[in-house]
Amino acid sequence: MLRTALLSTVLLLCGWAAAAWLTHGFQAWTDESARPRAVALHPVAAPAVPVQGPGVAAATLPALLAEGGGVTIADFIYTRCETVCLSLGGSFQQLQAALRADAQAGAAPGVRLLSISFDGARDDPAALRAYARSLGADPALWRFVRVPGAGPQQALLRRLGVVVVPNGRGDFEHNAALLVFDARGRMVRVFDLAEQQLALDYARHLARGPR
Amino acid sequence: MKPGLAGLALLALLALPGPRQALEASMWRHMVLQFPLLLLAGALLAAALPARARGAVARWNAHGISGLVLAGVVLAVLMVPRALDLALRDAGVELAKHAALLLAGAALRLSWRPAGRVVQGFFLGNVLPMTAVAGQLYRDAPLRLCNAYLLDDQARLGGWLTGLAALAALGWLGRVAWQLTRPEPGSP
Repeated sequence: MLRTALLSTVLLLCGWAAAAWLTHGFQAWTDESARPRAVALHPVAAPAVPVQGPGVAAATLPALLAEGGGVTIADFIYTRCETVCLSLGGSFQQLQAALRADAQAGAAPGVRLLSISFDGARDDPAALRAYARSLGADPALWRFVRVPGAGPQQALLRRLGVVVVPNGRGDFEHNAALLVFDARGRMVRVFDLAEQQLALDYARHLARGPR
Repeated sequence: MKPGLAGLALLALLALPGPRQALEASMWRHMVLQFPLLLLAGALLAAALPARARGAVARWNAHGISGLVLAGVVLAVLMVPRALDLALRDAGVELAKHAALLLAGAALRLSWRPAGRVVQGFFLGNVLPMTAVAGQLYRDAPLRLCNAYLLDDQARLGGWLTGLAALAALGWLGRVAWQLTRPEPGSP
């Protein structure tokens, strides 16, 4: 009986440890809530996948993120989307308005926006241009790219923890979030869609750099 | 076919990439089909244990308590939504999930009879309400809890979990009631 009690206690402790590891100390029960914690602890370098987009000269994603030495807030979209991307688009419009106000107030530009399509097969540069125009995007602040080629696109989504599931009706479900990249092309923070202001403040802070 | 061989065959089938992906492509198949099939494979494998090994296990498993604790812990941990997402994208977690479910199945097989009604009731009294509540949460959650699965899939899984937990509870209670009301053999 003593051995049974001992073994049972050990098993319970193992289970507790496994659950604590799985939930980041009982804080994050879903993968989506664990992602910001994991990224904040261990920034993720953007893989050197090719990018294409209207008015985008950089050939790869790290080169695009490094342009101008600024901070980038990125999201993942597809142009036919009628659900969460619309709200992402709205968020980005508000972010763009805030960044324009910053520029008019004389602040140094340092934060830019980037929308990355995960439907690279359909979202060619022309489609992205039309989409950008429909959202009133300012090309100096807010760029749109796709990752040509299914392989590199999958690699990018996998590395950044973006999960896209076809919903069987020709559309996609995906975990929408605001990803903040530093000028070295590292994803340093992930913010929930509802934390738009926090993401902006964090990006501004990062862009000002260490003092 | 001997149970041990059947267990091995079932495990091999479940580990093949094709069936594994088919089962894991949907949230409800992942939890309501793959999990119990792995438990079954573990139980079949445990039946092949030689008597000496069983004796050794039994010394650490009085009244089946250790085994049921193991099974309860495994099922509780695997009910965390993140476990499903991680199993899909991390080979280490996937392997650990398979091993844990096989062990839990084996533990259930080796512990159920020795446990008796009281310990069985305690085990089910913990695991089944937990399953039913998790199922209710999955059904009612307005957001997707797993990035890899769709919302209607999640709701369907929730319904399955709640229903299966209720069925298991009714089944066990019915069996106990039948055993208790059955006239004792040899009594007038």
